[in-house]
Amino acid sequence: MTVADAVFYILAVIAIVSGWRVFRTDSMVRASFLLLLSFIAVGAIMLLLGAEYLGIALFFMMAVEMMVMALFMVMFMMNPAGLNPMNMVHQPRVAIGAGVAVFLVLAAVALFAQFPRNSAPSALDPVRSLGRELLGDSMLIFESAGVALLATMIGVVVLSGAGGRFGASDVGSRPPGLTPDAAPAGPPEQEEAASGGGHHGH
Amino acid sequence: MGTDLLLPVVVLFAVLVAGVYLVQVFDGIVASALSGIPARDHWLAPLRRGAWLWLQQDITTEHPDALNWRLAPMVYFTLAALGMAVIPWAGQVVAADLSTGIVLWGSVEALATVVIFLHGWSANAVFPLLGAYRYVALGLSYILISMFVLIGVALPAESLKITYVVLSQQELWNVVRQPLGLPLFLIVGLGIAFWGPLNFADSADLAGGTAAEVSGPHRLLWTVARSAMLVAFSAVAAATFLGGWLGPWLPGLVWMVLKMLLVLAALLLLGRVLARPAPERFLTFAWVVLLPLAFLDLVWAGLEAL
Repeated sequence: MTVADAVFYILAVIAIVSGWRVFRTDSMVRASFLLLLSFIAVGAIMLLLGAEYLGIALFFMMAVEMMVMALFMVMFMMNPAGLNPMNMVHQPRVAIGAGVAVFLVLAAVALFAQFPRNSAPSALDPVRSLGRELLGDSMLIFESAGVALLATMIGVVVLSGAGGRFGASDVGSRPPGLTPDAAPAGPPEQEEAASGGGHHGH
Repeated sequence: MGTDLLLPVVVLFAVLVAGVYLVQVFDGIVASALSGIPARDHWLAPLRRGAWLWLQQDITTEHPDALNWRLAPMVYFTLAALGMAVIPWAGQVVAADLSTGIVLWGSVEALATVVIFLHGWSANAVFPLLGAYRYVALGLSYILISMFVLIGVALPAESLKITYVVLSQQELWNVVRQPLGLPLFLIVGLGIAFWGPLNFADSADLAGGTAAEVSGPHRLLWTVARSAMLVAFSAVAAATFLGGWLGPWLPGLVWMVLKMLLVLAALLLLGRVLARPAPERFLTFAWVVLLPLAFLDLVWAGLEAL
């Protein structure tokens, strides 16, 4: 067993164990960052395979993505800070069935597929060839996906901008009532806020 | 490998250890020069404070996420060291001459956001948590500005390898060729090490932010890690904008270290003289002014490279 083999096995164990812990932990923040750890191990395996750009790109993409995901989950689930214990598994029977089925399919592909044996030339520059692929033959797909993602991002910014769902978000706003014509939900308006937002006393 | 790898690794750790110490020394000198209050001893004061912190009691909060809380300073320091691994100290002296060195530095910045967040989140206390959220809100704009600026320096080099970025500056340094780049990058540096005016994560108005609840060796390690990030950042700036090891008469290694110290001194001076903005105003400023300037820098670099 070479050093590269040993590194691969260690990384594979990290990726699998942290991926498993995602479902066993009780906090959204921990689940997000365990998933990040799993992806980092996979990115390092890609580096071992010589994918110098894709492996490292996985690090920063997943870092930002998991950070944003953790933040959004904490914001939308009423669990301040995500530190309260919380079950991370939903519809466990369906999920276990789907997980086992996907595992069997992927394992069958790994065992029975005929993988091509043409090794890459040693002079291959992975960054350059990836760039030629993305801006050459695959340009239409790549650019369509890029524009769709950009539109999504602008949509998210608009939705979360100052003119929020329940009125301007930077002047203090109140959610609508729980039934038609009911009083606004949430805590009653405080006197301090009514008298100009001054912060008195301790 | 062998001796080829030994020299860069020794240089890396020597620069990291000496750099962390010099950050504290420089900062003390700048502070007392600006305020006019003479300090007792600039060179011994950081060591004295470090030793004092080392011997202090390490207090803990109620039900922290102990693993993440302890790990965060170490991982932040490790990220700084990892970022420095792709920096060439001289022509052949580089620990890991990755063909995607600039992307690796981008990953360091992105992962630093996660680590700073975890440091504040895992303490299970109010002020650290506020500091953590505040950093995440701002961190995204730092990463974007930094990426545009760094893609700008990769264009004339036609490579993401930092060695080639240095070599592309043989005729003209990037600080002159892309005048917007270095100023933007220095602002990002203050932001990512949350230093001086851009110290929003550990700011005084949050009673110390993510570090509000840490004491003793933990605080010492957190301070060391933040200083190390500032050092790593200066090394990246020196290599990508100030021509790295290029220079007459002196050996390349000496030039590189001198330029790095120059950037470090500039960062520490900026950290003391710039006024501190309110975090929400700075967020608007970063997206409305700095990010378009970074775009402009990229367009400029592209037109120049054509």
